[in-house]
Amino acid sequence: MSFALKAAVANASWRAALRCPNTLAARCLLHTSQPARMAEQQPVVPSPTSPTEPVTLLAQQGSLQLSLQQPKNGAEYVLSTLDKVTNWARQGSMWPMTFGLACCAVEMMHMAAARYDQDRLGVVFRASPRQSDIMIVAGTLTNKMAPALRKVYDQMPEPRWVISMGSCANGGGYYHYSYSVVRGCDRIVPVDIYVPGCPPTAEALLYGMLQLQRKMRRSRKGVLWYRK
Amino acid sequence: MVSLLRTIRNLRRAGFKEWWRQMQYIGDAKAGTYIGADQFGNRYFENRNGEEEIPGRHRWVDFAQHEYHASQVPPEWHSWIQHIRKEPPSQDTVMQNLTPPWQAPYTESLTGTRGAYRPYNTAVPKIKAWDPKIAARS
Repeated sequence: MSFALKAAVANASWRAALRCPNTLAARCLLHTSQPARMAEQQPVVPSPTSPTEPVTLLAQQGSLQLSLQQPKNGAEYVLSTLDKVTNWARQGSMWPMTFGLACCAVEMMHMAAARYDQDRLGVVFRASPRQSDIMIVAGTLTNKMAPALRKVYDQMPEPRWVISMGSCANGGGYYHYSYSVVRGCDRIVPVDIYVPGCPPTAEALLYGMLQLQRKMRRSRKGVLWYRK
Repeated sequence: MVSLLRTIRNLRRAGFKEWWRQMQYIGDAKAGTYIGADQFGNRYFENRNGEEEIPGRHRWVDFAQHEYHASQVPPEWHSWIQHIRKEPPSQDTVMQNLTPPWQAPYTESLTGTRGAYRPYNTAVPKIKAWDPKIAARS
């Protein structure tokens, strides 16, 4: 009994010793300065651009693309609308050709699986080059595989796009100095989107697909033809 | 889950204008508390009621731009919306105090625009292409 009481007293004294005194409570907190920055709705880092004038608008100023997107007469208005309908149809069903070459292909499969679920964007893997729009070059392209890649690309119908996935397909990557590896698949086929990473995450590849959708949306082939 | 009842309930809560915008951009009727807006005008919402929103869909962003993509969310709000940090950056004192004043302002990914990064090389190229020169005949 007395032993328990002693232990309790000892514990209490320890707690008192370790507790921060009330007068020094403020000192115990780190970073008590800068109360002014805690104001509501203050962005942590101020931005030079405003919500009404985003940076993409600034980047587009005076460009040919902006001129194409602004129709000047009735014919251009009709053609740009037709272009938009075409773009909408194309971006809604992108069928990638699976050209999985190495470990990047596993991440490409993850994009198709339940978490990132490419089907909700209308992206469905198609194993035949004659019925696909996009080729995802996922992995190291070797010299031996290069003719096959070019042949598959040539078999795809127009319009076609190529996504280069991973550092090996972008520029050789880890195997850049190998005797048997193509230093970037853009030496074989024209590439639209480069996805960096080794391997890129499924999220990164999906972001690349969305960027390709953006690229498709920018297309104004009819207006371009009319202006020529 | 998406149901007719939920859609009607969220339509009544959010208002017709907001609901129409959500159907155009998010594709779902959502209602929740307004948490804040970032420097680009994107608005952030939260609904932590498990009966109304599936956990994982309970924080969302309403983008300001028509051409929206994920990199328009600045890193401070990214850490909130991806549940890296609990508090939004307007209330997170740790983030506010640990943000250095020399931190560069964030810009979204400018890929595909004229502001895109273009790599360049300042070193002398190691490979010299063969330039045939014909010697003059005597």
